[in-house]
Amino acid sequence: MKQVEDSEILEKFSQEKTRNEAFNLLLNKYQQKIYWHIRRLVLNHDDTDDLVQDVFIKVWKNLEKFRSDSQLYTWIYRIATNESITFLNKQKQQNNTPLDEVSAELADNLVASSYFNGDKVQLKLQKALLTLPEKQRLIFNMKYFDELKYEEISEITGTSVGALKASFHIAVKKIETFMLNEDITF
Amino acid sequence: MEENLEHSDWMKEMKDTGFTTPSNYFEGLNQSIQAKLSMERLKVSVHEDGFTVPTCYFEQLQSGILAKTTDVVQSRPEPKLIKLWHSKLLKYASAACFVIVAGIGTLYYNQQTERTSVAMTEEMATEQMLYDIDEEVIIEHIEANSNQLPKASASEIAMENYILNNYSQNELVADL
Repeated sequence: MKQVEDSEILEKFSQEKTRNEAFNLLLNKYQQKIYWHIRRLVLNHDDTDDLVQDVFIKVWKNLEKFRSDSQLYTWIYRIATNESITFLNKQKQQNNTPLDEVSAELADNLVASSYFNGDKVQLKLQKALLTLPEKQRLIFNMKYFDELKYEEISEITGTSVGALKASFHIAVKKIETFMLNEDITF
Repeated sequence: MEENLEHSDWMKEMKDTGFTTPSNYFEGLNQSIQAKLSMERLKVSVHEDGFTVPTCYFEQLQSGILAKTTDVVQSRPEPKLIKLWHSKLLKYASAACFVIVAGIGTLYYNQQTERTSVAMTEEMATEQMLYDIDEEVIIEHIEANSNQLPKASASEIAMENYILNNYSQNELVADL
């Protein structure tokens, strides 16, 4: 199935008659990508479900103001990233969880979740990711899972390409060390 | 041997291709390659991330989001339409004010025009009067009334010039 161009989506969205059709096309094209991007950050399916809907409502409300000085999908990714980080920070504050215990709590929730059927190695990878600082985990996810280019990640996060490369290289080293550590088993 | 020397000189020249690299590129290149290799190894051992979704989730997600956008459109308050004139009375009163202001403006403009034309007419009449009076009469009058001015003998041309430079038409008419 041929993917519709962003320019076509924006053109149709600008006209009231074709606005709903345009939004349908946008959802077809991006909803899964954005879902998984959020899911890898917040881990829980129900939280992701709420967030992804909030993100696309924001997209609906603000798309007519979108200036084509960035790519459409990096703009949507940016909204999704900001919503996810805001959610995680709120969760930490509400639960009053000390920062060093947050990753452990998230990992426990992951194991208990009915929407995670990963094997031991996959679980170990998720725990490795949870040891990373939030931003480093975000950058790793976008590079490793979403396979975005550094320039695209730079647009989304507002961080320079050089800093992103350094952050990613450090993240990869940490994860590799964690994965190779035979003392850590589940 | 000479051929070998020539060949190496030529080779040295060709090495400088003019291409450049970003600063510290090769220091970062090693890291980039190592990171890519680690990622490749990771992908081999961990094929997927283990996350799943409920059955038919994405189909339901789309319709759920579309339903919420309809709510957003319906909940938007309609822009309030404020009429410029609430009643006919206000409409007619505005028109009447406009007519009065326009009338006053026209009247004022006409009065100004009349004054200007009257002033111009008076000036023209003064000029005509001066033209009719003899020059010798004008000169005699000025000589008789002026005590402070130096009494030097002047030719007729010099006297004319003096009068023209120092007296306005209205002053001459008023005195005569």
